[in-house]
Amino acid sequence: MTNVHPTRRFAQLALVALVGLGVMTQAAPALAQGQREPQAEQFVQTPAQRVISVLADKNQSVAQKKATFHQGIDELADVPRITNFVLGKYARTITPDQRTRFAAAFRVYAESVYQNRISDYHGETLKVTGSTVRKPGDVIVNTTISGGQLGQPVQVSWRVLGGGTAWKVVDVQFKGVWLAITQQQDFVSTIDNAGGNVDVLISQLQRDAQRPASR
Amino acid sequence: MALAVIAAGGTSAAASSAHARATVETPIPLVAAPDAATDMAQIEYDPLEGFNRGSYTFSMGLDRAVFRPVTHGYMAVTPTPVRHRVSAFVYNLGEPSTFLNDVLQGKPKRAGRTTARFAINSTVGVLGLFDVAAGMGIRSHDADFGQTFGRYGVKPGPYLYVPVLGPLNFRDGVGRVFDFFTDPIGLAGQGWTSPFGITRLVTQTIDTRANADLAFRALDQAVDPYATARSAYGQHREALIREATGAVQELPDFDDVPAATDPVVPPTETSTVPAESATPQPPTAEPAAPAASPEPQ
Repeated sequence: MTNVHPTRRFAQLALVALVGLGVMTQAAPALAQGQREPQAEQFVQTPAQRVISVLADKNQSVAQKKATFHQGIDELADVPRITNFVLGKYARTITPDQRTRFAAAFRVYAESVYQNRISDYHGETLKVTGSTVRKPGDVIVNTTISGGQLGQPVQVSWRVLGGGTAWKVVDVQFKGVWLAITQQQDFVSTIDNAGGNVDVLISQLQRDAQRPASR
Repeated sequence: MALAVIAAGGTSAAASSAHARATVETPIPLVAAPDAATDMAQIEYDPLEGFNRGSYTFSMGLDRAVFRPVTHGYMAVTPTPVRHRVSAFVYNLGEPSTFLNDVLQGKPKRAGRTTARFAINSTVGVLGLFDVAAGMGIRSHDADFGQTFGRYGVKPGPYLYVPVLGPLNFRDGVGRVFDFFTDPIGLAGQGWTSPFGITRLVTQTIDTRANADLAFRALDQAVDPYATARSAYGQHREALIREATGAVQELPDFDDVPAATDPVVPPTETSTVPAESATPQPPTAEPAAPAASPEPQ
């Protein structure tokens, strides 16, 4: 049945690249050498490292980690902006009532999903390796996460918006894949397939939030 | 058997034209990436979505029935360090194919690093079980024919979810066929039907599935796993191709939500409208005004 050829790409791309999150490839994004933004780098270094340390700490209970992530997320990420972004084109047409319900459902969903995802990688140390200013107030900070269960260090980029000493993460890239952009495609496709009805997505998120993560 | 034939047939139709484009087009190594909207539209280009969704559902069912249980069994009986050795061994066997593509892409430094890695890891690294070269600062990188085509300007074309094989696009599907027929280790090992070939295939399939386990879990948590996989695969591949072209990724402005249907982006409030320029400007004019503005940039 599996008449497949023996180059490593067969399995590698069929499966690893399935969601681009496999551990073998090193697809660091090719970012131009631009101007650096030290304050944005500092922002990523400190709170991001703290969240990663807590999630990687084996002495903390799942409930403790959850509480830390719940509190830390607003310090780290611009949740309202991300909430708007992931709706894509539907951010223009959603009603105020739907927006309120979506924001609540998305928050619960995202906390559960991203906490699991960060914990899964068990990295322990985050090191900022540089940054690129896309335009003033919009910076990509490049980091390497290593240690813990990671076989080899992974490159993670953080898109941060802000200025001065006030910055917030809006997107994270790993293996070339931006999480918020991918999330947007997921949600927009779901709403498209529901004939443009955002309520279908909202109820789906509410259902998923109650479902325990598959292990 | 039939699956690979279908895959090869579907992609070989486009092979000649894609190859022709690759060889005819002048390399433009530092061309700017297409703008963000175009970039995303290319990744989402999925005219075969009906077939692809069926294929995706079938493949995921097969994964749950066969690949996942086998992989989880493997992960249960082997400690993590052992699995890392297996990954390194499988990866090392792919280095000659990486070298070939480094050369075809006109990247002698990368080709040199790949050669050094293969030589060091195959000897000092005990047949590739240990990535000694990475410890010496010679880090790994990937290269395949899909990337080589992309480096010379070939666009991804329609998205394709091939049963069992997984996500592809036309460009990378053709690339996969080329990878198969040119893989030096595969050729030296008498093809995939030899005992060596079968062992290698089974090993790397399980190894790759194990390494992708977290990704599969992430898909389980998506609302539309099919769309999520398509987006992630496309972004991953385009990132690999930017690595070869040196292009910088164009990202959408984070607050700029795409228009519902029409591709024409309406002008922002701050843009000047010619008709209004005749009217006297209020003293508190928008800062985004015309070239007459004396502000230094």
